[in-house]
This record gives sequence, C-alpha cells and structure tokens, in this order.
Amino acid sequence: MWAFIGRNLVLRIALLFVVSVLIHTIIHIAPGEPSQVDPSNPRMKPEDIAKIRAAFHLDDPLYLQYAYWLTDLLTGELKSFKDNQPVLGKIWRRFLNSLPLFVCTTLLVWTLAFPVGIHAAVTRGSMFDRTSTFLAYAMISFPGFVLAYILILEIVQFFEIPVIGLRTFGMESASSLFKFMDRIWHLVLPAFVGALGGIAVLSRYVRSQMLEVVNQDYIRTARAKGLEEDTVIYRHALRNALLPFITMFGLLLPGLVGGSVIFETIFAWPGLGRLGFEAILSRDFPVILTLNVFGAALTLVGTFVSDVLYAVADPRIRLE
Amino acid sequence: MPLKRALLLAPLLLTLFLLQSYFWVPTYEKQSVGNPERLVTYIEGSIGDAKILNPILHADTASATIVNHVFDGLLDLDENLNLRGRLATHWTISEKAYLLVNPDNRFPDGVEVTGERLLARIRRALKDGVLSEAASNILSIELLPPERQTHTFSLDEKAGTSGTREVDVTLTIPERLRFTLREVDQDFFKRLVPIIGDRYLLHFPYERYMEFPDGLTSEQKTHLHARVAEYLPVAEHNPEILFFLRKGVKFHDGHEFDAGDVKFTYEAIMNPKNLSPRTSDFEPIKYIDILDPYTVRVVYKRLFSPAINAWTMGILPEHLLNDEAMQREMDRRGLSEAARAAFGMRDSEFNRHPIGTGRFRFIEWHSDEFIHLERFEDYWEGPAEFKHYYMRIIPDLLTQEVEFRAGAVDYYGAQPHQVARYKKDPRYQSFSTLGFGYTYIGYNNRRPLFADPEVRRALGMAINVDEIITYLLYGEGERITGPYPKNTPWYDHSVQPLPYDPAGARRLLEERGWTLNADGWLEKDGKIFEFNLITNNGNPIRKNILTIAQNAWKKIGVKCNTQLFEWAVFLKDFVNTGEFDAVVLGWSMGIDPDLYQIWHSSQAGPQQLNFVGYNNPKADDLIVRIRREYNREVQQALAHQLHRLIYEDQPYTFLYAPLSTAVLDKKIVLVYHEPDGTERYEKIYPTKSGNIYFHFGRWRKLAFTPEF
Repeated sequence: MWAFIGRNLVLRIALLFVVSVLIHTIIHIAPGEPSQVDPSNPRMKPEDIAKIRAAFHLDDPLYLQYAYWLTDLLTGELKSFKDNQPVLGKIWRRFLNSLPLFVCTTLLVWTLAFPVGIHAAVTRGSMFDRTSTFLAYAMISFPGFVLAYILILEIVQFFEIPVIGLRTFGMESASSLFKFMDRIWHLVLPAFVGALGGIAVLSRYVRSQMLEVVNQDYIRTARAKGLEEDTVIYRHALRNALLPFITMFGLLLPGLVGGSVIFETIFAWPGLGRLGFEAILSRDFPVILTLNVFGAALTLVGTFVSDVLYAVADPRIRLE
Repeated sequence: MPLKRALLLAPLLLTLFLLQSYFWVPTYEKQSVGNPERLVTYIEGSIGDAKILNPILHADTASATIVNHVFDGLLDLDENLNLRGRLATHWTISEKAYLLVNPDNRFPDGVEVTGERLLARIRRALKDGVLSEAASNILSIELLPPERQTHTFSLDEKAGTSGTREVDVTLTIPERLRFTLREVDQDFFKRLVPIIGDRYLLHFPYERYMEFPDGLTSEQKTHLHARVAEYLPVAEHNPEILFFLRKGVKFHDGHEFDAGDVKFTYEAIMNPKNLSPRTSDFEPIKYIDILDPYTVRVVYKRLFSPAINAWTMGILPEHLLNDEAMQREMDRRGLSEAARAAFGMRDSEFNRHPIGTGRFRFIEWHSDEFIHLERFEDYWEGPAEFKHYYMRIIPDLLTQEVEFRAGAVDYYGAQPHQVARYKKDPRYQSFSTLGFGYTYIGYNNRRPLFADPEVRRALGMAINVDEIITYLLYGEGERITGPYPKNTPWYDHSVQPLPYDPAGARRLLEERGWTLNADGWLEKDGKIFEFNLITNNGNPIRKNILTIAQNAWKKIGVKCNTQLFEWAVFLKDFVNTGEFDAVVLGWSMGIDPDLYQIWHSSQAGPQQLNFVGYNNPKADDLIVRIRREYNREVQQALAHQLHRLIYEDQPYTFLYAPLSTAVLDKKIVLVYHEPDGTERYEKIYPTKSGNIYFHFGRWRKLAFTPEF
C-alpha cells in the first residue's frame, strides 16, 4: 500500500511536469499576443511594445520562458501580464468566489441524483422512471446557457428582483444579515442551473448501476432475510453500485479550479472560470498556465484519491 | 433508512435555505425608486474589467474610462476639440532657436564667419529692416560660448547579438547663437538666408568636434556621426511651452498639486523600469524645468506641434509614487531582493487604488465585479452632481440589457440594432455620434493598374456608398471625402464626395484606353482589368463591402476577385509586405492633424502604415509643414489643402465614418444651478466632437421623466 502510494506520487509528479511543459508549449504556439503587447492596439507604439515584450521575456526561447515561469511560480513572485498582480493572490480570491457555488452545486448533484436514480431503477418502467428519464434527457440535451437566459429573463420580469452577480448592487448600507441573505439569493439561480445538468447525468449513472445490482442473488438473499426494502436498496445494493462513482468523485476536484465559464459569464459571477477565460482572451500566459497546471495537479490528486478509495471501499481490490 | 433520509433531506433543506433568501432581497423597484441614493448614482455596464488604473500605464478602454474620472491632465479638449486648460490655467508657446557658428563657412560677400560677426550682421539687418518678417518675432539674441559636453549614445551591437552598448562621446560644442522667439516659426532659419547665405545650413564638420572612446569600428563611428548630427543640428528649433498651473488643486488625499507632480509624471513615463506605453508621446521633450511651484517649462527637441496633446494625460501624485514611497511599499509588502530589483510603477498597489486630482475619487475595486468611485467634494471645478460612479462588469450582452431595462445599469454599449429598438421607447434617449474612425478601400498605388488617379477615381465613382450606409449600417454612418475625421477642424467640408456615376466611371476608363471586350470586361493591350480585393475575416460589414464593390465594378466591366484572411495572416502576408492589390480597411484617427505615419511617402516601407504606397511630393511637403506648424489657423488651412490634395489623388476610395451609438435613461439630464437656488434641467447633447460625456459633471438622474 505505502509502496504503491510512494510510486504513484513520483509518477504523478513527473506526469505533472510533462503536462506543464505541454501546456506551456501549446499556449505559446497558439496565435495571438498578450494584450499588453498587442500590436493592433492603436494606443501602443512599436517601441513601447518591444520594451514590454523584453520585460515579459516574450522574445526569449521557450525553454527559458518556461524556466522563468516555474521559478516565479515556486518563489510566489509570478505576476499577471495583464495587470502585474501576483497570480497566486488573484487565483485565491477568485477561488473563494467560486467555492460557494461549487459547494452548493456539488451538494445538490451528489445528494439528489442518488434517490432519483435509485427510485427509477427500483421501479423500473413505472411512471416515475419514465418521467425522470424523459426529464433527465431533456436536461442533458437542452443547452444550459439557454435555460439560464430564460430563467434570468422570467425571474427578473416576474419577481423584479436582481439575479446576476455576487450580490445586489447598492446594498452597502444594509445590515449584515440582509447582505448575507442577499449573497445566498444570488447563489440560487447559478447553483440550480448548474446542478440540473449534473443531476440529470449522474442520476442516469446511478440508475444503470443500480439496475445491474438489484437483480443480483445477494439482493434477493437480503430481501429473503426479511430486511426492510430501504435497507436492502440503500445498504446492500447501493454499496455495490458505488464503485464507479468513486472515480467520478475523484474527478470532481479539478472542477474546483475550472469553475464554469459559461454560467459565470452569464451570471456575471467573478469566479475562477471567468478568470481563466479572460486570461485566455488577453493571452495572460502566467494565469492560463498556472490555472491549467493547478487543474492538472488536482486531476492527478483526484484520480489518486479515488484509486486509494477503491481499496477502502472494495476489499477485493488491492493496491500493489 | 437514515442514508435515504439524508440524501433527500439535505438537498431539500439546502434548497429551502437558498430559496428563503428571496424574501431578504430588495426588488429593482425598491433599489431604484425607493432609494434616493440611486438618483445620484451612475452605473455604467462594461463587458470587460479594467486592468491597470494608472494614466501612464493603461492601454485598454475600461481602464481609460476610470482613469479619466480619477485623474486630470494639464489640458483637455473642449467642445470643439480645441485644447483647454485643466490643471494648467493657461499656457504660452515660444521658441528658442540655436544656430551653430560654422567657421568653415563664408558669408555671401566672402568674409569668414565668426560668432561675433554673425551676431553683428544679424543685429544690423534687424535694425535696417532687411529681416522684417523675423524682426517682430525675435525677442533677443545671444552668443553662447563654446562648451565641452559628454553625451552618452546607445549603439546597437552587431547583428546576431541583442543588447546595446553605451558609448560616451565628448562633444566640443562650438559657439552658438541663441534666438529667443515670441512664437514658433518653422521658417525662421530660411528668413536668415539673406545674411548667412543659402548654403550655410547644409553642411557642418562634426568630425572635428567629436572625441570617441577607443575600440570603435569605423562603421560605428559613421553611425555615431549621424547620431551626433541628429543631436546637435546646425540649426535647431526648441519650442518651449510654459504651463501656468492652477493653484489650490488638491489630490484626493488632500496633498496639494504642484509643478513637481508634472515633472515627476514625465520622468515616470521616461523611466524604463516603468514600461510605460506613452514614451513615444513624450520622447520629443528635451527637458522639463520647474520655474516655481506653479510654473513649468517644457522644452522640446524639435518642431512637432502634436506633442502638446500628450499633456491631456492624467498627472500622477509625486508624493505617493516617488522613490521613497516605492521603498516604503516594498518594505511593507516584504518583497524579496529579486522582486525589489525589478520593482517598477507597474507593480505598485497604487494601480489598484489610484489617487488623482479628478472629479471622482477611487473607493474600491472588486475584480470582475465593479469599480466604485465617489465624487470628490473638493474638486476645483466644483463637485459633480452624481455622488457615486460605478462601473459594473457584466460580461454578457444579454444580461447587460436585462440589467439596463431593470434600471440597475444606466449605460451600456448597446449594439446598433438594439439602439433602433430603444429609439421607439419613450423611456430612453439615444445618441448617434461621429467618432474618429472611417472605412475605406485602399488601392496599392505601386501597382501599374492603380498608378493613375483617374482610374482610382473611376473605381470610386462606380460604388454607391449611400446604399452601403443605408443597408449595411442601418443609417448609422456618414459619407466622408478625405483622410481626417469628420468632426475635427482639419476636415474640409467643402470637398464634395465622389458622385455615384457608373456611366461616368466607364467613360473615364475608356478615355484611358480601356475598352469592353466580347466577354463584357474592360481590356487594354490584351489584358483585362482584373485585381484582388481582400480584407480581414471576422468583420461582417467589411465582408459585405467586398461583395458590394465586386458587384458594382462588374457593372462597369472591372473584374474583381475577393478573399478574406484571418487578421494576423492578413497583416503579415499582405498589408505589411505591400503584396496586395486593394484592401477594405478602417482607421481610427487621433485628434491632431498629423498624417505623417499614414500618408508620408517615407512611411511606405514594410510594416509601415502607408501600406498603399501613396507618394505625392506636394502632400509630403504639406504633411511635414503641418506637424511643424504651431499656429492653429495656419495648420487648419494647410490641413484643408492636404485633404483636398489627397481627395484629388483618390489613393483610397473613402467610404464612410461609422456613427457610435449610446442609450441612456431619459431621467438622466444636465443640471444647472441658477443663482436663485433653483435648478434648471437640460437634455444631454453630444458636443461637436461627438462626445456625450463632455458635461458628465452636470449629469444627474431625476425622480421623474422631464419633457424638453
């Protein structure tokens, strides 16, 4: 077990290095220039652009640029090309903005999807199963951003209440309880819209996994023992159906730095997804790189954790 | 089963908790009507966030908007685009002119030149009335003794190695005559020709006055020679601007503004550590002198009248950004040695908490959320009517419109088709104003096919521009005839646009020997009139112009092939190399009359802006005269001449200037305070220059919709 963890750790760090080199290369090969040195900006003269390029090391060979990025990142002195702000601080503040949304969405998805999927599987072919299947596929195929627009338009028109942004505008003088509740309200729409698609997808997985399990012999045995139906389903069946979800849960982690570009843009939510998106638009290499590398690192950590969790959840699996 | 219950209860409780928050949130109604603060709050919606709130560093529109509210320049542009004093109450422009005494030369009568003789002869001529034109302009003449000076030039190292080498050259500056002139006169030295002779200005033996360090190649010496000639011309114009600063102006932290801040701002721009994108604007400055705390003298290296426009840039507070302040900031932030070494103004926290002298002071900035400014009560021009200014960052166009219609945003960049909708809505006022841009078809003047101005004229006459404006731009455009923005005084309104006359165009081409062949194409010497018209991908209007032009030219028998290229490819492979026949493009112009970069024949090389290769010695001469002229009326007359000249040459087919559109709530008006304490309201109007924000200080939102 420990040997496995150790070996895996080394491998993953090496992999992370390779990934970071790849990302670095791809970003620099892609067309376009950082906005600070954009030659088509009429406010900038070629001499000034040359000066800024030199300061950003943009004309150095790629491997040197990579080395500059890495040393700056490790010493914590990495600065954004866009506004010279420290990259880590920027990412941290945006992370705090994205976190509540992430927590709410994840909670909704990972709680609701199970009872819905399980009930559909157990009562296969019933009205509930068919309705939930229909709704789930409708949610999966319906573009989330269109739904977001429709909801925004309807809610604004019907309730005359602001829905976009982190908070209502002009509430500085309100008491802190009102401010807190206001922040909560602004979570509602993006969290639900974000969760709907997730619930739809995940409940389908739960349903199919459960379908495989509910007809097994040991379920019949459990029922024959006279156990309550809920105990049969939620203890005996669910545990055996859970394994694939460990992998999926592990892959949740990178979502922490990915945010959601589309919903954050529509809802004017200043989260990580938008930070990354705007960084790409303005070719803010340090931010794009750092975010991507964090994403890659979290993916690696996530899959690692799920590997370990497999062993914990299923005694038949051994890590060697 | 507890697990089942948990899985159901948790989301239920979470949902209930989330939804109950609805009851705590104020409605839009409450925000806008029930809240008197809202009437003195202006909220602007912006797609993108600002980047750096520093007048010498920013290079994006959102930052520029905020910086213009927080900082004041010495000057700005008034309603008619004339310069107007802000932090400077007024200014005077005069000149010091220097003439090197060249002992190799002889006067026209054969006498050898010495400093004393030169001075005496000019004085006598002035007395005798020989130099009548110059006489009234000369305030004083002095003979300066020779001086030794060491000047550092940076030399580019040989090809292959990057980096520069600093070389100290010791110069023995010979005797010089210094003329103090009342006003700038670009022909001053020409006026002295009767005394000094017409060959005096042509040659000067610099090599005798330079001492090099050892170890320079002859190539480098030749190069340095040219640099010294540039640094120390035989005849030098040094325009001087004396700025008289406004007294009692305070920065938002209470510190008083004075001449030190002006000098500091200039030095900050020129400091290579700060990586300012404005260095080229301030490069013509030789030095800045502080005469007293409220008087600054700016001395320029050469005649370049547009240089004064650079002073519309915001002035920085010296006390917050000078070396000691930077040291303090580095100490406070506990920066490492490496970070300290590279620390420039770009890294300072000032850029996120700017302090200026402007109408609004900075309060807070939540990245990608909003920037909050509050009116500065001690503003020298009196406080603004709006108490708060917000720039809300809403990255999505549709949600911007939702917020605008709900009243949570007062202004956003509405698209032309949206403006058309708002025009019918009685709650809003909309504006269509001229900007500084225009669109054109540029012909590669180097190509024999387009070498004849009459051919270019014929091509222009074949295109129906009015149709383009009506159908492509929904009417949001105006015809133009020349190279200047239509709302500047440089534009000559008496020049009439080319008529739409396909038959006339055909006639013109037939006169030039082009005849219709059997296939319906114009043909001359066995070749048909055929060329490629290209533009960049991603601009639907330009793409449509391609088709319209192609079709219009087909009607007169001209065969045109069109193609779109991705922007980077378009520039790199076609425009920058000059390898194209004709392009559809647009310019966004400045407010000064200087057209050197776009139209001067010296700027037609690769990567340069005169990519159509326009070359007319008369135009070259006018362009140079305009940028060296300091008298605005003369400048305007010259600009009109230039406009007409370029119009007659038709190097471009000038198409149209697009109008920019804006929509505001009708409740926002201009507020005037009458002496008797009442208020008078006026409708917001765009100035002649197309700026609706000119009177932003007077804007306020009323509780009712006024009728005008």
